[in-house]
Amino acid sequence: MVPFISSLFLLPVIVSGLVLILPKNLSRVLVIATAVILSALSLYLFIAIDQPLKFSAPEYFNQVVVAADFLLLLFFAWVAIKRKSLLVGLMTLLQLGASIYLFKNPGSENTVQFYVDKLSLFMFLLINVISSIICIFSLKYIDEEDCSNFRKKYFLSILFWFIAAMNLVVSSDNLEYFFLFFELTTLASFLLIAFRKDEISVRNALTALWMNQIGGLAILATIFFINYNGYGEATFTNLLAHAGTTTILLPLALLSIAALIKGAQMPFSKWLLGAMVAPTPVSALLHSSTMVKIAPFIILRLSPALQGTPVAWVIIALTGFVFAASAIGALSQDNFKRILAHSTIALLALMIMMAAVGTQVTIIAALTLILFHGISKCMLFLNAGVLERVFHFKQASDMDRLAESGPFTSFLVAIGFMSLLLPPFGAFIGKWFSIETLGSLAVTQRILGALVIVLIAFGGAVLSLLYFKVIGLIIARKGEHDKLKFEHTSPYYNVTLNILLAFVIAGVIGFPFLITDYFIPVASQTLGQEIVMTTTGLTMHIGQMSLPIIPLIIAFLLLPVTIVLALFVRFKNVDRAKEYACGEKVNYSFSTMYFSTDKATPYFTAVGILFFIALLVVVLI
Amino acid sequence: MDLYIQIALIVLAPFIGGLVYGIERVVKARMQRRIGPPILQPFYDFFKLADKRKMIVHSTHAFLGIMHFFSLWFALAVLLLGGDFILVIFLHLLSTALLILAGYSTRSIFSHLGANRTAVSVLAYEPILILVAVSVYMLTGSFDVSSIFSYDEPLLVKMPLAFLALLLILPIKLKKSPFDVAEAHQEITGGVELEYSGIFYEAIYTAKWIDEIFCYTLVYLFGANNPLIGLGLVLFAFVFVNALDNSSARVSYKQMLRFSLTIALPIAFINLLLAIFQQVL
Amino acid sequence: MNFKSYRKKSPWILHYNAGSCNGCDIEILACLAPKYDIERFGMINTGNPKQSDILLVTGPVTKRSRERLVEIYAQMPEPKVVISCGACASTGGVFRGMYNCEGGIDQYIPVDVYVCGCGCRPEQIIDGVVQALGILDKKTKELEESVKLKKQPLKEEGQLNRREIAAEIKTA
Repeated sequence: MVPFISSLFLLPVIVSGLVLILPKNLSRVLVIATAVILSALSLYLFIAIDQPLKFSAPEYFNQVVVAADFLLLLFFAWVAIKRKSLLVGLMTLLQLGASIYLFKNPGSENTVQFYVDKLSLFMFLLINVISSIICIFSLKYIDEEDCSNFRKKYFLSILFWFIAAMNLVVSSDNLEYFFLFFELTTLASFLLIAFRKDEISVRNALTALWMNQIGGLAILATIFFINYNGYGEATFTNLLAHAGTTTILLPLALLSIAALIKGAQMPFSKWLLGAMVAPTPVSALLHSSTMVKIAPFIILRLSPALQGTPVAWVIIALTGFVFAASAIGALSQDNFKRILAHSTIALLALMIMMAAVGTQVTIIAALTLILFHGISKCMLFLNAGVLERVFHFKQASDMDRLAESGPFTSFLVAIGFMSLLLPPFGAFIGKWFSIETLGSLAVTQRILGALVIVLIAFGGAVLSLLYFKVIGLIIARKGEHDKLKFEHTSPYYNVTLNILLAFVIAGVIGFPFLITDYFIPVASQTLGQEIVMTTTGLTMHIGQMSLPIIPLIIAFLLLPVTIVLALFVRFKNVDRAKEYACGEKVNYSFSTMYFSTDKATPYFTAVGILFFIALLVVVLI
Repeated sequence: MDLYIQIALIVLAPFIGGLVYGIERVVKARMQRRIGPPILQPFYDFFKLADKRKMIVHSTHAFLGIMHFFSLWFALAVLLLGGDFILVIFLHLLSTALLILAGYSTRSIFSHLGANRTAVSVLAYEPILILVAVSVYMLTGSFDVSSIFSYDEPLLVKMPLAFLALLLILPIKLKKSPFDVAEAHQEITGGVELEYSGIFYEAIYTAKWIDEIFCYTLVYLFGANNPLIGLGLVLFAFVFVNALDNSSARVSYKQMLRFSLTIALPIAFINLLLAIFQQVL
Repeated sequence: MNFKSYRKKSPWILHYNAGSCNGCDIEILACLAPKYDIERFGMINTGNPKQSDILLVTGPVTKRSRERLVEIYAQMPEPKVVISCGACASTGGVFRGMYNCEGGIDQYIPVDVYVCGCGCRPEQIIDGVVQALGILDKKTKELEESVKLKKQPLKEEGQLNRREIAAEIKTA
C-alpha cells in the first residue's frame, strides 16, 4: 500500500516538472493520463485500505523537509521585500524565528510521519478526482488566457504541485511536516492568485499570503508548545491520545485558529473574496473544493479531543455567526464568483460547526457537506469559467442573456445551485441534519445551542433567498422560441462539466448506499466509535436521526426535476400572450435585488476578532 | 390520528381549502357590512376558469405555477401524515421557491416585483417557524409531528409564546394585511399571480387554499390531542387574521422585515430558551 | 362536463379608464362598496386582463389611451364581453368632436352592452352587467379581434402567438 500512497505524492510532483518542459500536445496527453491515474489510485486506495496506516518516510526526508522549510521562508521574505509588504515581512520574520528555534531544539526523534486513515482516504478521493477534472478543464481555459506560452505551462505545473501538497497535507501526522505542506498550499495559492500580474491580483495575493501565514504561525506555536511541555511527539495522534486533559486545550485552540483562517472565517474572510480575481480554475480548485477543505479536515481530525470542550463551544458560536453574516454579505454581491465565494464561506462555517459538535450524526453531516459541496461548487465555478470565456460576462445581472443563447449552460448552473439547496441533494441533507442535531446540542449547552439555532435558521433562510435570486436570473426568458438551440462549447469544458453532472446525479441516486458504504466507515474511524445504521421499513436511522426515503424521492421529483423540466418543457395548443404592463409596449430589461451591507461589514469583522480572542482566552479559564 | 383520516384529509385538502376560503370571503364581507358571495363561490370560480381559452406567457412560467401547487399539496401531505417537522418547513419553503422562480421567469415588471417581495417575506417567516419546530423538539423529544399527538398536554399550555409568534407571522404567510406586500393588489396588481390566466391561474388559486389549510393545521397542532382546544385556536386565528386584514393598511417590506426580526423572532427565541430550560429530555 | 353555466356565476371585472373625468369610475367603484355590493354575484375587481371576463370601460378614448385600450383588450382570454359605461364611452358624450378624443370606444373594440348616463348610476351598471352575462353565455372561445389597430396573430407550431395582435399607431 505504501508505494501506492507515495505515488500519490510523487506523481503530481514529477508531472508538475514534466509539464514545464514538454511540448503542448504531449503535455495534454500527460495531464489527462495523470488525471485518470490519480483518480483511479485514490478510488482503489479507498476501497483497499480498511485500518489506519502509519508509516515513516526514509531517513533523508527529514533533511529535505527542513531545507524546503527554510527555502520557502526565504522565498516569502524575498516576496515581502520585492513587493514592499510590511505584513508579509512581519509574518515571515516571526515564522523564520520560530522555525530556527524549533530546528535548534527538536522534539523527540523517530516520529512516525504519515498517518492515513479513512478520513485521509476520503479527502484523497475528493482532492484527486476534483483536481483532475479541474486540470483537464484548465487545459482549455488557460489556452485562451492572454499570456506567454511559458506562463501557461507554469500555471499547469503549479496546479499539479498543489495537488501533491494537498495529498501530503491530509496524510501527515507529524506537525512539522504538516506545517511545511500547509505553507506549500499557501505558496501555491499566492502564486496562482498573482498569476495575472495586475495590481489588484498582486494586492489580493499578498493579503492571502499574510493571512495564511498567521495560520502557519499558529501551527508553529502548537509545535513549540508541545515540545515545551514535553508532551512527546508533535503529532496528531499524540494530541488525540491526550484527549480529556485541560492542558491540551491550547494546542487545540491554536490548531483551530489555523483551520479557521484557512477556511476564511471572519474576520479573515477577505483573502478568499479577494482571491476571486484569479483565473477560474484556481478559484474552483483552491478556494472552494480542496484547499479550504483543510479547515473542516483539521477539525474532524481533532474532533474526538475537541468534542465538549470550551474551545469547541467558541468555534461553534463563531461559525454560527459567520454562517449568518456571510450569507447576508452574499446578498450584496453582483460578481458571480463573489457570490459563490460568500456561499462557500457560509457552508464552510456549517461544516466546521458540524465537525466541532462531534457527535455521530454531525460528523456524517460534515462529511456529506464536504463531499457534495466540493462537487457542486466545483461545477459552479467551472460554469463561471464557461460564462467568462464563452459568453463573456462576469456579473450576475448579465445572466439574463443566458436562457436564450445557452440553454445547456443555464441548466448546469441551475443544477449547481439547486444541488446546494434542494432535497434530496447532499447539501440539503447536510443542512437538515445540522438543524436537527443542534437541537441535541442545545440540550447540554443551553444558551449557546439556542443562539446557534437562531443563527443557522436565519442564515439558512438568507442563503435560500440568495439561491432563489440567482436561479431566477437564469430562467428569465423573453418569450418562446420553440426551437431549443444548444450551444457548442469546447469538448474540454463539455466533458468535464458532464462528468461533474454525472457525479451530482449519482450522488442523488446512490445516497443511501453512500451513507452506508462511504460515510459511516469514515465517520466511525474518525470518531473511534462504531456507528450503526438501522433501517425500519423505508426509513434509515442513525443514532437519533431518521431519514425518511419516500418523501425524499417524491421531493426530488417535485423540486429539482421540476425546475429542470421547466427549462425544457413546451405546452402545445395554448396561446402565447404578452406580459401585462398596464398596456404599455415598452421592453424592459431586468436585474435583481441587492442589499447593501456596507454598514454592517465593520461590525462583522469586529465580532469575528472578538471571537478569535475568546478562543485563546477560554483556554486560560 | 388514523391513517384513513389522514389520507382522506390529504385527498380532500383542496375542497376543504375552497370551503374555508369561501367562508373567509363571507366573513370578511359581513365585517364590512356587505352580504358577500355564496360560500361555494371558490368552486364556481374554479369551473369558470376551466372554461376560458388557454393563454400563457411561456411554458416555463406556467409549468412552475402548476408544480408550485403540487409541491405545496405534497408539503401538506407530509405534515398531515406526521412527518418530520423541519422537512415539512423546508418543503413549504421550496414550494414557495417554485412560485418565486415562476415570478422571475417572465419579463413582466409586476411579476418581478412580486417575486422579489415574496422572497423577502420568506426571510421574514422562515426562521421563526424553525425556532418553533425546535422548541417542539425540546418538549416532545422528537422532530416528528406525530409525536405532538402522543404528548400528554396541549402545546399551548407549555409554549404560549410560540403560539404568539406563530400568530404574528400568520398574516405574512397567508399574504394578508398588514403584511401582504408580496401580493399587493392595488400596488403591483397581484405580484406573481399576475401573468396567469384560466386553468393555470386556477393552480395558483388552489395553492392559496392549500396554503391556508397548511397554516391552520400548524395552528391546530398547538392543541393537538384536545380537538376542542385545537378547533378553538383555529377559529380564533381565523377571526384574528381576517379582522386584522380588514382593519389595517399595508406596510412596506422593510417594515415587515423589521417587525418580524425585532419582535416575532425574539419572542420565538425566548420561547426556545424557556423550552430548553423546562425540557423533559 | 358543462362548464358553460358557471360563466355567469363568477364574472370577474376589469375596469379601464380611457380618459374619463372619473365620474363613471366613482360609480363603478361604488358598486363594489357595501351599499350596492356586486361581490354577492361573485364579481371581483381584478387588476389585470388575463384573469377577467368583463371589461368595463369609461371615458372617451383619448389619443393616449387608444393603443393601451386595444392592448388590454387583446390580453383578455375569450370568452369576454365589453361594457361601455357612460355617455362618453358610448358616443363621446360631452367631449364628442373634440380634437383630443375619438368619440366612443366602439371604434376600437367591439362593444356588447352600452350603459348610458352621464355619471351612469350603479343600478344601471349592475343592470348592464347582468345583461352582459346573458351575452357572455352565448359566446364561444374563438379569438376576438379589435376593430382597429389589429394585427394577425402568428401561427407557430401548434399554437397561436397573440403577443403582437395590438398594433401601434404610426405617427408620420
